[in-house]
Amino acid sequence: MSTTTTGAGVVAAVAPVTRRVRAYFAPVNRSVGVPTMFDAAQLGRFDLHAPPAPWVDLGWVSGFTRKCGTKVDALRAGAPAITVGQVRTEVEATVSLEFETWGKLQVTLASGSQQTNLLTTAAGAAPNGSGGVATAPVPLLTGTGLASTATSLNVGTAAAAGFSIGSLVAVDVDYTGQLGYVGTGVSSAYVQSASAVGGDVNYVRRVTLNVGVVVAITAGVLELASALPAGTPAAGMQVSQLVGFCDREGASFFQEWSALFVMQGAQGDRVLYHYPRLQAMQGSAEAEDALAAPLERIRLAGAFRALPVKDANDGETVLCFRSYLPAVLRGV
Amino acid sequence: MQNAKDTFYVMLQSRLAALNPARTIVVRGVVRPGTLVDENELPTAWVPVDAFRLQWAELRVNRAEPLPLVAMECSIQYATDGTPGNVGMDRGRLLAAMDAELASALGAEPHTVPKMNYAAAGAGVAPTAMGTNVFWADPVFGAATTVDERLERTTTVQVFAYQEAGEL
Repeated sequence: MSTTTTGAGVVAAVAPVTRRVRAYFAPVNRSVGVPTMFDAAQLGRFDLHAPPAPWVDLGWVSGFTRKCGTKVDALRAGAPAITVGQVRTEVEATVSLEFETWGKLQVTLASGSQQTNLLTTAAGAAPNGSGGVATAPVPLLTGTGLASTATSLNVGTAAAAGFSIGSLVAVDVDYTGQLGYVGTGVSSAYVQSASAVGGDVNYVRRVTLNVGVVVAITAGVLELASALPAGTPAAGMQVSQLVGFCDREGASFFQEWSALFVMQGAQGDRVLYHYPRLQAMQGSAEAEDALAAPLERIRLAGAFRALPVKDANDGETVLCFRSYLPAVLRGV
Repeated sequence: MQNAKDTFYVMLQSRLAALNPARTIVVRGVVRPGTLVDENELPTAWVPVDAFRLQWAELRVNRAEPLPLVAMECSIQYATDGTPGNVGMDRGRLLAAMDAELASALGAEPHTVPKMNYAAAGAGVAPTAMGTNVFWADPVFGAATTVDERLERTTTVQVFAYQEAGEL
């Protein structure tokens, strides 16, 4: 006995209709130049509110605009010249968008360069644009009480008294002379020499993206609102308090990230744009959205240039992958 | 088009009822969730309060796609006199509550629902799922107006659906 499947129920395919675009971030291993690849064949139908690890939700974005800078020229031969073929003389792709939220990651990506945590300054610290000399960091306790996790930091009851609900914290290793990319989880700055950063023991925490918000303090343990991006703190990491974030026009570092943008279609179809390597192509900028005079909503405006990767299937050098997942029982 | 209208109404009624099960209305002696479609009820000059009344207004059909895209404007009217115990002085709060319920129901994800055919549905007979989804834009809340002691508002929302092959 055989089973026959027919296409009788197939509905004609229509153009996707979408409300907005959701953005996701994943780190690029800058030291070895390896991005995070997204496989739409395996994971394309993921829950938009729960992206698969290591992708991090950046929230909705507006003004999402893709531009193709690829140039195709005619290849001519003969007299008079006749086009006999075509050749790509230049391949380029850019993306611009506006983030709907001002989270640490969004501010960092839109800043175009490294982003600094404004660490709480020590008493009498000389004023400095990106924050003066910071207070001493607080060590994470080991062997005493609960072990620290991605969402709870055991600093001990004495040190915990220096924190309060709502405190912002940066968790990372001490700077001990490392050169090159620094920042746990995500490469957040490039150190050219120890003297350039003044040998500052807090320098890695000053630039790290491994930050969180304290929402409860219990028996010397700081409970965070969400998991630290870099996961469970490694041995030797310390905690610094911060008051906010700062970026600079003119700094030398280029942020690079793996990006995924998703348009969910109203019919259950889905369009995914995956840029394995994006680098900021402009300095920090904002877009004003007039609410009602004199109120304006300020969105983070970002513009990015795509860098190439090799497709493992055929070795082609490409900048972006656009995937389309049709709705169920649609004509193709 | 009727399938899309029925589907949108059932979606909105169920979402509003889930948000506030206590919002009910008595229609022809039967207690129902407080959402109804005017054209499905007996013509009457009586205006129910503390309930949502749907009216279907403008209609556009775009035949440029393989499936005609139907755009329908749904007008949702609601009014309140406040409660007698508060001598009507809570009518602003009650209207705000209805605003919030409607905004939540229409703003909740997903902003789509599978189109259903209710033509043969009834007691013990489930509606038939069709091949496309009904979807809608963000609601536009009109100005609150006062008529005597009554506070009311009309909100409109554009509802979209594809006209499937053989569908009337």
